[in-house]
Amino acid sequence: MKRIAIGLYVAATAALMIWGYYQAIYVAPANELGQGYIYHIFYYHVPSAMVAFLFFTISLAGSIGYLSWRHSQPERALAADAWALSGAEVGVVFCTVVLLTGPIWARRAWGIWWTWDPRLTTTLILWLIYMSYLLLRRFAAGPQMQTLAAVLNIFGAIDVPIVYMSNRWWSGAHPGPVFGGGPDSGMHQSMLGPFKWNILAWLAWGLLILALRYQAERGNQKIAAEQAQAALEA
Amino acid sequence: MKKLAAAVIVVIPSALAAWAFYLMITAPPSLPMGVRLSHPDLFEAEKAIADRAFLKAAYAMTWAVQLGYLAWLGLKWRAQKRDSTRSDRLPR
Repeated sequence: MKRIAIGLYVAATAALMIWGYYQAIYVAPANELGQGYIYHIFYYHVPSAMVAFLFFTISLAGSIGYLSWRHSQPERALAADAWALSGAEVGVVFCTVVLLTGPIWARRAWGIWWTWDPRLTTTLILWLIYMSYLLLRRFAAGPQMQTLAAVLNIFGAIDVPIVYMSNRWWSGAHPGPVFGGGPDSGMHQSMLGPFKWNILAWLAWGLLILALRYQAERGNQKIAAEQAQAALEA
Repeated sequence: MKKLAAAVIVVIPSALAAWAFYLMITAPPSLPMGVRLSHPDLFEAEKAIADRAFLKAAYAMTWAVQLGYLAWLGLKWRAQKRDSTRSDRLPR
């Protein structure tokens, strides 16, 4: 039953990805932002950023959970820690996509690959913070590692709202906010449908790899516990 | 068979990334301002070709990252399965 449900979810995600691509390339208006065909990157770039923010938030919740439960409910704390690690890792994957597709778009729209615009800079800082979190998880050892990583995650997550607000607080080359940015913000009705389909498709894909990563991490924790138990008994 | 599958899932993201770089490198460069003004049709046609190449490159890069991560996850899962089997064989 579980296998059928997973198979159905994978099939639905694949269908959504194909439908999202079709919407972005063939249904979305050809030149809505006045940039020519290149603006279609929007349908991959913006949903990836939204999914990255969501996963960093999941990671933050996991780290808070770990710190709250690590003494009282160790098993629950380990599950929270697995969510924290999975959220950060998959969030970094989506953030990498944002940082790669952004310069490709910028090269055609602005004529440059990169500029130290507030939105771009804060996003790069966010990526670096979470990369340092993942490197800490990968290379540090000892009983305090998870606690230190959780604290770093909580401080790192402060950059998420800063990235979101950066084009409201500071002016720069990056376009202004699309939603909730005042009377001039918003999106043409013809763009809204393809945009929503792509958000849904990338969210479905992201949740799929998040679940896979979470399962892998829980497996790692199980193996580590079994090895520790075997070492104690030996 | 497993080795072949592992090779394929590593090769596909790498090929996508290489294709993305190739598309960007071979896209037509921006025309000089004089040519743009004197031949606006030519400019629009060149711009459309370059835009499409960069759009394809962005999509290829996106999938290179996503599938590359999935491949890494798959390899990690395999290594974990091996560790789990080894752990089960440990004397207790």
